[in-house]
Amino acid sequence: MVRATIDSAAVTTSYRAPIPSQFGSKLPAMKSSLARRPLGLRVIAIIGLLLMSAAPARAQDAGAFIDGVARQVLDMLRQGVSDSQREATLRSVLRTNFDLPSMGRAALGNYWSKTTPDQQKRYLAAIESAEVRAYSDRLRQYGGQSLKVVRQTPGPGGATLVDSQIVQPGGQQVVRLVWEVRKEGGRFLVTDVSIEGVSMVLTRRSDFNAYISRNGGNVEPLIAELERRAGK
Amino acid sequence: MGKATVSYGRNLIGAAFLFLAACATQPGEISDPLEVPNRFMFAINQTVDLLVVRPVTVTYRDWVPAPVQRALTNFLNNLGEPVTAINEVAQGEPERAAKTVGRFLVNSTAGLLGLFDVATDMGLAPTKEDFGQTLGVWANSPEDGGPYLVLPLLGPSNVRDAVGLLVDNLIDPFSIAGRRLNVEYLLWARAVMTGIDARTRTLQALDDIEKNSLDFYAAVRSAYTQRRASMIRTKGDPAKATTAEIDAATKVALVR
Repeated sequence: MVRATIDSAAVTTSYRAPIPSQFGSKLPAMKSSLARRPLGLRVIAIIGLLLMSAAPARAQDAGAFIDGVARQVLDMLRQGVSDSQREATLRSVLRTNFDLPSMGRAALGNYWSKTTPDQQKRYLAAIESAEVRAYSDRLRQYGGQSLKVVRQTPGPGGATLVDSQIVQPGGQQVVRLVWEVRKEGGRFLVTDVSIEGVSMVLTRRSDFNAYISRNGGNVEPLIAELERRAGK
Repeated sequence: MGKATVSYGRNLIGAAFLFLAACATQPGEISDPLEVPNRFMFAINQTVDLLVVRPVTVTYRDWVPAPVQRALTNFLNNLGEPVTAINEVAQGEPERAAKTVGRFLVNSTAGLLGLFDVATDMGLAPTKEDFGQTLGVWANSPEDGGPYLVLPLLGPSNVRDAVGLLVDNLIDPFSIAGRRLNVEYLLWARAVMTGIDARTRTLQALDDIEKNSLDFYAAVRSAYTQRRASMIRTKGDPAKATTAEIDAATKVALVR
């Protein structure tokens, strides 16, 4: 039912034409066994290529933005880059398209105000490396999945929620992914990603808050641990 | 913390967070009065998973032919349809319950005892509802499932979902029949296969969370709570997803 809606809506958009709709199947499945693996976070988000936008105006721009990010990442994956190249590309993709400082602040929650400017700087640097590493890991075993933008709805505080699906090459399982996108100084930035209803920022915050309170309410051990992991 | 405060610009998020944090009970926080025993059980589960569940699951996933795996998934799902139908009625969704009954009848016959999901091809998409979700549908907040629990072997849960598990077991026609006919071993076999089947689907997600978290227990607790809340909000209907999630997302925005 969803699919039918998308297809009929796609006719009215300009996004369909330049993107071969069967692109996903032409992509090299790196290992056939991977293609039939159950879906998880690894096939995350940015492995996308196909955008069919259904909503007008502002929302459509947000969808186009997500499509652009997805295609940028996909182009890289199709070229078959080395680990370090992939990490470098993803770092620049995340820096330009994700509001990492805001996500980092949100993940620290209450404790943000209790950190010194120097700590905040170190924390944000470490968290950026952590994100880059996480995405790079997930995309290492790319198996030809594609991302389909389903629709956009206005979210809280001026954000747009871009609803999308990761589609497996086999087409049997679908993972639902919602991007929270905000417009900042004329350009879009991702401020959160939810996978099957699980927000990355919220999960991070629970994780970090627990770690901090288990270390006597001090933020320093968290930053040190993040830096240790980033340095590995 | 009225909703009027949501209309700040993104630049003010940090400042707004500071203000709201002062007056709001942290929505990201989950009631966990049993954290110490829960963490203990979590550690035991991790060990059992590492030594038994995971190796069995990985072997199953990598060595059993994909069509066989799909048939088994279909078969187990089909056995679960009556419970889903009952819960859909209890959630006030008679039409969806009727579809589920239809799926069950079609798949049990034309689908050869549920091995093939022919109902989906006929336009009857699968749904899955348990009694924990039913309780959540009628409760005020899907995020609030009562105190968080880590169950032996079954893992993350809470009081609401644990009660749900028990009730589902009591109302399941197959479980009732199995006990009446003294063929409990079939129920155990079904439980084991259900466990392995479910574990294949959580392998990647849990590995990812473990690798990218500092406190795995806390990250799983959060992810589980959010996931269940999302399932309750959408009532298994992805078309409802985004709009239904705006509520949840608003809460997120409030804490930033």
